[in-house]
Amino acid sequence: MIEVKNISKVYKIAKKGKHGIFSREYEHRRAVDDISFSINEGEIVGFIGPNGAGKSTTIKMLSGILHPDIGSICVNGYIPYKQRKKYVANIGVVFGQKSQLNWDLPLIESFELIRYIYKIPKKKYEKNLAKFIDLLDMREFINQPVRQLSLGQKMRGDIVAALLHSPKIVFFDEPTIGLDVVAKEKIREFIKYLNRTENITMIFTTHDMQDIEKVCDRLIIIDKGHKIYDGTVSEIKRKYAARKIIEAEMADDSAADLAKFGNNVKITDISEHGKICKRFEFDSERCPVNEVMGSIFSQYDVNDISIKEPEIDGIIRDIYEGELQL
Amino acid sequence: MRAYAEFAVKKFRNQTAYRMDCFMGILKTIFSFIVYFSIYKALYGGRSDVDGITLNMVVTNFIISLGLSNAFDFNEMFLPDKISWGEISNELLKPVSFRLRLLSEHIGESIFKLVFNFVPSLIFAAFTIGMMPPSSAINMLLMAISAVMGYLILWELSFIVQTWSFWLFSVWGIIVMKNVLVNIMTGAMIPLWFMPSMLRGIISFTPFESVYFTPVRLYLGQISGSEIAVCMINQAVWIVVLFVIGDIFWKKGTKKLVVQGG
Repeated sequence: MIEVKNISKVYKIAKKGKHGIFSREYEHRRAVDDISFSINEGEIVGFIGPNGAGKSTTIKMLSGILHPDIGSICVNGYIPYKQRKKYVANIGVVFGQKSQLNWDLPLIESFELIRYIYKIPKKKYEKNLAKFIDLLDMREFINQPVRQLSLGQKMRGDIVAALLHSPKIVFFDEPTIGLDVVAKEKIREFIKYLNRTENITMIFTTHDMQDIEKVCDRLIIIDKGHKIYDGTVSEIKRKYAARKIIEAEMADDSAADLAKFGNNVKITDISEHGKICKRFEFDSERCPVNEVMGSIFSQYDVNDISIKEPEIDGIIRDIYEGELQL
Repeated sequence: MRAYAEFAVKKFRNQTAYRMDCFMGILKTIFSFIVYFSIYKALYGGRSDVDGITLNMVVTNFIISLGLSNAFDFNEMFLPDKISWGEISNELLKPVSFRLRLLSEHIGESIFKLVFNFVPSLIFAAFTIGMMPPSSAINMLLMAISAVMGYLILWELSFIVQTWSFWLFSVWGIIVMKNVLVNIMTGAMIPLWFMPSMLRGIISFTPFESVYFTPVRLYLGQISGSEIAVCMINQAVWIVVLFVIGDIFWKKGTKKLVVQGG
């Protein structure tokens, strides 16, 4: 469905303070560097990476509004950046930060406009709209002007606007940004439901790991323009499930010796509010949990102890910060 | 095509949301009529005509050209804002021509203002200040056609300047400058009859003359016979020329956007 081969994109940025009136010095920044992947029909793929990693640039290239400098993209038989006008009629794009709704008009009128833009047959439009209104609980605000809607209501409106023409591929660029837990959950359920029932292929960028865990089967991580991970969400969790974290509260701040584990156990002081706490991080394949626990109990006067499973959030943070190598 | 008609209709209805704005717009037009009338009345100082141009003709000129320019006024920062906020890429994701969409929306807005700003102020002016009636029904019709073409010229001029924001950080200053030029060279402020002949000669080679002055002269019946055709063809030629120029800038701008990334 989506075939991306070795794409790169370089931005030319004028150097600050280094330009005269007629000449400028430019700095070349590689936003996307030799990324390849392919996505099958019906997949939901999460696209994550720290700010400035090249996510949006990749999405822009996939949706046809940016040319790759090198490499090729083929989506559903189209070359997005060459056949933009024909191509965009077949995709849907939701930008969490930029609404495409008409500020002054009731939501329903923005939808009607979309019906004409995409030349959606009346029957199909009515059927789709009724379904979406039902699924996203939109009946009570469908006749209100968009400027009076809350962020969550607006976002639901934007998602429907991108889906009314039944696209086969939908790009979501941070669709849950700034929403509360309930609204996020509703949107996630809706996206999953659509994927299941209509077999729509979806690409999803986000900073919320809950989105990824709950919605996506597959995860692509990019950092500094490179693809650093491409695989299932469960695999990445399994791979790092061996990482254990023990947090313990001590009765006193006596120095202790865990030297027999060498550098394999990383100890950090997390004391706060007058409580003396330490965090022990280690790989349970190299240092068995019972041995580490035993040492902690024998060396310290422990008041309280807890073992933490690594959360996807923590794994991703470690990857971004360069502590975990993939 | 239906989509573009809908753009115009929606924009028209959009305007009804701002009733106070509409009311203030009428007041603004009426005030400018009164101010201009007072100035010209004082300048004429009781004389019946200056170089064969009567006060009544001058009044008719500014009622039509100022009235139309208030009705044709639209947000010229629309495209520049979209470009600087990066929203322009959203527009490129729609299977419609953004340029035609913009034009449709402005037409919708202008029709609204013609009906709810130009017409009421015109009626007010006709009963208080007094303007000349059209020299004939045909002249009235010709004026209307010519005013539509004048509108298209004005819109194209604005669009060209707006597209420069693909390359420049701010085009606001250029837009202001363009509008000063438009106000002077179209004869909206000072009727072109009073321009020195050399300046008038220069203006006749620009698109400005055909924006308001051609409709005014048609209304007053100052143009007759084959000259009517010449003037209107002149307008049509300018529409085509400016459309092509605008097209080149728009295509180059969007190409820059998709190749280099705004």
